[in-house]
Amino acid sequence: MTTKALGEFKDSAAFSLGVELELQLVSKRDFDLTRGATDLLGSLDYDERFGEIKLEITESMIEISTQPQATVDGIATDLGGLRDTLRQHCERNNIGVCGGGTHPFHHWPERRICPGDRFNDLYQRYGYLSKQFTVFGQHVHVGCTSADEAIWLTQALGVHVPAFIALSASSPFVDGVDSFYQSARLNAVSAFPLSGQCPPLGSWQEFTEHFAFLQACGIAQGIKDLYWDVRPKPEFGTVEIRVCDTPLTIEQATSLAALAQSLARWLLRTRPPLHTAKQAHVARYNKFQACRYGLEAMISDPVNLSQTPLKQTLADLLEAVSEDARELDCAHWLSPLKQAVAENTGDAAWLRAREKQHGNLNDVVREASERLMGKDN
Amino acid sequence: MIETITSPLRAIWESLLERLFFLPPFPETIDSLALFSLLLVVGLLLGEWLHAHARWPKVTGYVLAGTVFGPSALGWISIEALAQARPIADAALGLLMMEVGRRLDLSWLRRNPELLRSTLADITLSFALIFLFALWLVGLTPAWAAATAAVTMASAPAVVLLTIEEAKAQGQVTERIILHTAISSAASFVAFAVVLGIVHAELSEDWLNALVHPLWVVIGAFLVGGMGTWLALRIAKTLPKGSLAQVFVLIACALLAVGIARMLAVPVFLTLFLMGVLLASRDQQQTLRYTALPEGHWLLAIVLFVIVGASLPWQDFTWLAGVQALGLLLVRAAAKAGAMAWSGGSMPWPKRLLVGMGIQPLSATAVFMAYEIASLYPEVGRSALTLPLFAAAMMELVGPALCRLALHRSGECESGERNQGGIA
Repeated sequence: MTTKALGEFKDSAAFSLGVELELQLVSKRDFDLTRGATDLLGSLDYDERFGEIKLEITESMIEISTQPQATVDGIATDLGGLRDTLRQHCERNNIGVCGGGTHPFHHWPERRICPGDRFNDLYQRYGYLSKQFTVFGQHVHVGCTSADEAIWLTQALGVHVPAFIALSASSPFVDGVDSFYQSARLNAVSAFPLSGQCPPLGSWQEFTEHFAFLQACGIAQGIKDLYWDVRPKPEFGTVEIRVCDTPLTIEQATSLAALAQSLARWLLRTRPPLHTAKQAHVARYNKFQACRYGLEAMISDPVNLSQTPLKQTLADLLEAVSEDARELDCAHWLSPLKQAVAENTGDAAWLRAREKQHGNLNDVVREASERLMGKDN
Repeated sequence: MIETITSPLRAIWESLLERLFFLPPFPETIDSLALFSLLLVVGLLLGEWLHAHARWPKVTGYVLAGTVFGPSALGWISIEALAQARPIADAALGLLMMEVGRRLDLSWLRRNPELLRSTLADITLSFALIFLFALWLVGLTPAWAAATAAVTMASAPAVVLLTIEEAKAQGQVTERIILHTAISSAASFVAFAVVLGIVHAELSEDWLNALVHPLWVVIGAFLVGGMGTWLALRIAKTLPKGSLAQVFVLIACALLAVGIARMLAVPVFLTLFLMGVLLASRDQQQTLRYTALPEGHWLLAIVLFVIVGASLPWQDFTWLAGVQALGLLLVRAAAKAGAMAWSGGSMPWPKRLLVGMGIQPLSATAVFMAYEIASLYPEVGRSALTLPLFAAAMMELVGPALCRLALHRSGECESGERNQGGIA
């Protein structure tokens, strides 16, 4: 096994942002997933001014990633530019693009692994899980000024994983049936051996020792093998939140980035006490609650030994970070999240409503595809 | 040869008939249902065997079964039996043509000018080069040269669809093969209608027929296809989307259109192709958009290709006719490959050439179109259309393999392709 050194943590500007969105490529005929990523990107005529458009593990997925931005508005501009580029190019190739954490009815054995050593290696290592990993997430990177700060923020953000899951949940359908989950996507991720939470680590030094231990045990080769919910990303100098489903609109993706930025600032400013060891006991339960019930989840508090409705926790949190959002000039991006919490709406509910209206999932994906492209429906 | 087998049976039967009064007379022909069952089993077995052992497309096996057991070789399938089986072949071809019509996405041409360029180049070059070849090198009259070009310019929708389905291919090469096939079929049908008029004008000097027959064919096909579309959408709207009942309605309406087209002497392939196009364009509510043909259409496809194989005129084969047909196929291949290479665009040229290779199949529709024209003037038509019929006969065997090779080379077939032991 070839291992990859962790490398130095590259400090970046405080609260700088980067967003990655994994997107679905769908056939315009029946709106099932279609293979086409390699051809699509192979003929892409684009100067990367808004960020990158890349292959993902299977031929029915692509990933768009913004440039590092100081502001949420910058992220919105990049995502808009990437979407327009993609729309133009996909139309020429007669392919649809869609958000959402899962494709509601695709048949995973039909997926094909993209060409490339890394993807092939993953397929050899994880077998069918790699094809079942045709799920679509949003990753938000928040810049940190030091490695120790990144590790502290990784732990601190871990407590708020359920909030990000519930606000982004957009994967209620799997294999053509309603899973009863708001976010069924994370069940595909949790099958990987190194998924879950970052262990209770107090500093960059402890993190590097832990990582070296994993390498020595032959468990991990590089940082990409850690499928943690929140993980440090040394080469970018960021902490990466990885639990969000890809939302159905880039506006929602931008709002989640705004929450990540405001929350990171609030956490680093107020430095609330962390109870990482205790949180580790309830983390999986809380994550399940958020995946299963979304905003209706009940979140366990291992410090006060109680349960609180996530809606209440979220309303309090959005209120708490308001000041930081104003300072970062992204308060206007939090309003849709506040509204979603107050009205108990979200992408999963939208998908279910459309399914109820149409009585089939093909039309749901068609409308979701139009929604990502900015067409109201 | 069939007589050798049946004569002892006949003798035994007739001796029994004297004592067992309830017995019917010895059957002179095979019951049509029994014949279809035999065709299905033989075609299926040969297709599966060739696919499993030689990696040949199954369609080739079905055609070979028809050729071997048809009038040209063993004669187990007689001319009369072929005529009996024709409604089933029409139904199978009709359903596949409707499916191709449903996949004709003209809006893609609007969004991608390079495709408009390549499809126009394919249509124009194919028709022009085949026409000139038939006129100058083979020496056909202008009318029959035009007829030859009209029936052979297009790719074979049925072969292309079934080969793609068999390979479970998905991707840009696959999608472009389907688009080019659908558009070239549409162009071929237009040319076919015009040629009908030209043939009448040249052979009968009857201007009324020359004018009215093409109109009858086009307007008739449009009206019957339109009726089928209207009926299918109207009934399907009342049923749950994607339900089995909708599949039933789609197939029933298509078969109704086949039947009416046959009664009115309007080509079935044109009628059902138009029905497919209308279904795709008139279905504003997406009522039938996601309703797919059931796996069972493979059974009909086997009958179709066995019958096509049996209909090929191998008994008339001469080396000169073979060389001429081969020449036509080479000219046609050059036209299609040239059109793809010349048209340029964002897709790399090796992949464009693969599209050119994938659209080479020429078969069922061409055979049926050729017989349609030939039947108008049997005394000249059959001999004049030997060229496209032999070209189709050769491509029946090679075309599916070329299409399959193109899909395989493009890397768009499903990975880990294996012998599943099933039909599809």
